[in-house]
Amino acid sequence: MRVTSMLPDVQYQMQQSQQALATATEQVSTGLRVNQLSDDPAASANMVLSLGVSANVDAYTSNISSALPQMQTADASISSMVTSLNTAVTLGTQGATGTNSAANTQAIAAQVAGELTSVISQANTSFQGVFLFGGTESTTPPFVAASTTYTSSKGSIALPLASSAGLTNGSVTTVSDATTGDTFTFKATGGDTVASLITAIGNAVSAGTLSAGTTATINASGQLSIGTNNAADGIVVSTNDSVLGSMSAASGTAVANAYAYVGNSNVNSVQIGESMSVPTNLPGSQLLISGANVIGSLNGLITALQSGTTAQIGAATTAVSAALNYVTQRRVPLDNTISQLNAEDTSLSSEKLTLTTQQTALVGISLADAATNLSQATLDNSAVLAAAAKIMPQTLLQYLQ
Amino acid sequence: MGSLTSSLSIAVQSLNAASGALQATNNNIANANTPGYTREIPILQEAAPTTDGTLSVGGGVALEGYQSVRDELVTTQIQQETTAQSGANAQLASMQQIEPTFTTSTQDIGTDMSALFSSISNLSTDPTSSSSRTAVLTAGQNLATAFNTASNTLTSQQTGLNTQVTQDVSQINQLTQQIAALNPQIVAIKGTVQDGGTLEDQQNQLVLKLSALTSVSVTQSSNGITLSTGNGTPLVVGSQSFALQTTTASNGMTDVLDQYGANITSSLTSGDLGGTIQTRDTTIPGLLTQLDTLANQFGTAFNAAQATGYDQNGNAGQNFFTIPATVAGSAGSISMAITNTSQIAASSDGTSGSNGNLVNLSAVQTAALPSGQTPVNAYANLVYQVGSLTSSANAESTATTSSLLQLNDQLNSVSGVSIDQESANLITYQTAYEAAARVVTTIQAMFTVTLAMGTAAAE
Repeated sequence: MRVTSMLPDVQYQMQQSQQALATATEQVSTGLRVNQLSDDPAASANMVLSLGVSANVDAYTSNISSALPQMQTADASISSMVTSLNTAVTLGTQGATGTNSAANTQAIAAQVAGELTSVISQANTSFQGVFLFGGTESTTPPFVAASTTYTSSKGSIALPLASSAGLTNGSVTTVSDATTGDTFTFKATGGDTVASLITAIGNAVSAGTLSAGTTATINASGQLSIGTNNAADGIVVSTNDSVLGSMSAASGTAVANAYAYVGNSNVNSVQIGESMSVPTNLPGSQLLISGANVIGSLNGLITALQSGTTAQIGAATTAVSAALNYVTQRRVPLDNTISQLNAEDTSLSSEKLTLTTQQTALVGISLADAATNLSQATLDNSAVLAAAAKIMPQTLLQYLQ
Repeated sequence: MGSLTSSLSIAVQSLNAASGALQATNNNIANANTPGYTREIPILQEAAPTTDGTLSVGGGVALEGYQSVRDELVTTQIQQETTAQSGANAQLASMQQIEPTFTTSTQDIGTDMSALFSSISNLSTDPTSSSSRTAVLTAGQNLATAFNTASNTLTSQQTGLNTQVTQDVSQINQLTQQIAALNPQIVAIKGTVQDGGTLEDQQNQLVLKLSALTSVSVTQSSNGITLSTGNGTPLVVGSQSFALQTTTASNGMTDVLDQYGANITSSLTSGDLGGTIQTRDTTIPGLLTQLDTLANQFGTAFNAAQATGYDQNGNAGQNFFTIPATVAGSAGSISMAITNTSQIAASSDGTSGSNGNLVNLSAVQTAALPSGQTPVNAYANLVYQVGSLTSSANAESTATTSSLLQLNDQLNSVSGVSIDQESANLITYQTAYEAAARVVTTIQAMFTVTLAMGTAAAE
């Protein structure tokens, strides 16, 4: 073959070797084998999937970090409740011996009342603004001191509320009953009036949601009055209906040691794994009311200590003891969840490490390989340049001079 | 006396031949680095013999002309390979500009999609947290922006390619005019000296430039070369060139028409014009369709999940994203429908503390869209396609460049100027010239001696 100029070939080879050198340098500086999608399209696509999984793992880990202290706080609160209940059982047992003076029994009753206050205080524990035992109604304290009567702010003698007055569509009025432990919720729809609410409350009494004797009426002051007819039955009423205005407890109607639950029974869950969620709250209704009425049992013990017989005190103490057992049982799943969170946190750390290794294998390059590639590319480039320097000046003219 | 004159004539012819050969060598050396130059060789031929009585002696040498050393087959192969290289380069240049948009960064769709679901997961630990709600809103905005950016990158690339189509057609028309203008000149020269020489070199260079723009078919005829596009649309016949035209189609894109007004856009598949059209009309629309489908289906699924819950005020969840009714243009116009953090429908029971609906929003991540793929899988598929298209164009460009280099080596081995060879020729022809000059000097001396015969000086 007749050879003319070698310049184009030499230039091409120099470009190729310089490109290889640039690639090797980039690999060393970034630690990555794949710097553009086109370097390895399949690895790039798998990297997208792997990074998505990594982001989820990070989110799950973050969720655990957020949920764990919240649940530990809840556990500590329940632990305090258990202590209070144990104390109450001890006090009840002491009160049931029959050897106490009346003054002593009253003192014991006061101590039990203090333990009830302590239990309520723990039940209203909040963590970073979230009330831990209010269900998903977590922005207000779930246990509220109850009264026998609530009245509306709207309505007066001069301008009484009419039973035919229409309620605001979508407004919600709730009546939480300390005795039954239930909450009656009335959500007004189009056409509902004050009379509709009054009727509905009557129906709730019939259904057992509200204590017998609870009624709603337009009182002599022209206000809506919702109340019980038993001094021991307390309720808590709230509404967001502007027709009624705010509902507040009538003065002097507070029921001693009676607390209504204004939270709900819903549970939030948080995802801590690809297909793993854990409940992050324990509604107060489930903890202190529905299984064994803790508040009711403490209230019963106080009443028995204040005015009951030894047998009645003993029975009330047994009820508190049963409540204690129930609360202790309810604490177990919570503790299990805390253990699960800790275990999952460890598992996620391991998974994160696996993913990082996988991602390095997909697009990364070992330092040894990168350094070797760079060394080889440098050598190749030097060889090409040396060859070019040797070849390019070589012409016959040089030898003819 | 007659033979001396004849010898002198032969010597003069020899001087002319050597001088002419030196001129060809000189021209070759001068154009050693001129692109498209084809080396010339002198055509030397023995002159007719001289007969003197019964004696017949050689008549010396005659310089018949110059011949450019060509290889038509390799030239044609170079034109074809140039067409392929330009087409690949056009696609590669576009894809290399699109590629970074889909490369994993802090702002690509995949990252922002993951960030949205991470923020939702984080919100589940405290659905009343305003900072967590703000994070969800920001992540949603970032994802919408990432879709917008990717769509804008593709459409602006498409617009740039559209402009390139007009420029390519304009260049094609200029080149075909120049090629057609050279045809009669080359035909005229070939009628006398059999070779188009410099003009043919120029024409070959113009055809090569034309090949870089679009695939051309070259045939020789008595009127010079005839050029047509790959699908047979004539471009040059004799001294006449046929201009391509452009028109704006209903979709806003530039179409290419032949001289009769027939639309030949889809038939232009190679060269810079073909690569440009291919990328503009097939590659980018394909990617845009996938991107739009992903944005539309993702937005729809997310809105549906949002609708199953309640916002922080207890109202039914409203649309999270604003998406157009049709799939086309979804990625470019997707935006946030909600602007207030309280509008995030985290609750499943209407209370602000509930996170029950976040599980539905999170489920969008792992649920198959109507396309049959999860959002992240659909995006990963898009990433693969962008990478694969770029990689293919790069491989094609590299392969054609290498092939072109070999073909050019092959052509240069025939038509290229070798300085070494020309240096040797220089010595050869210089020596020939010196020898011929010595002959003239010798004959002159012989003439002097002859003319002096019988004169006093001679005695």
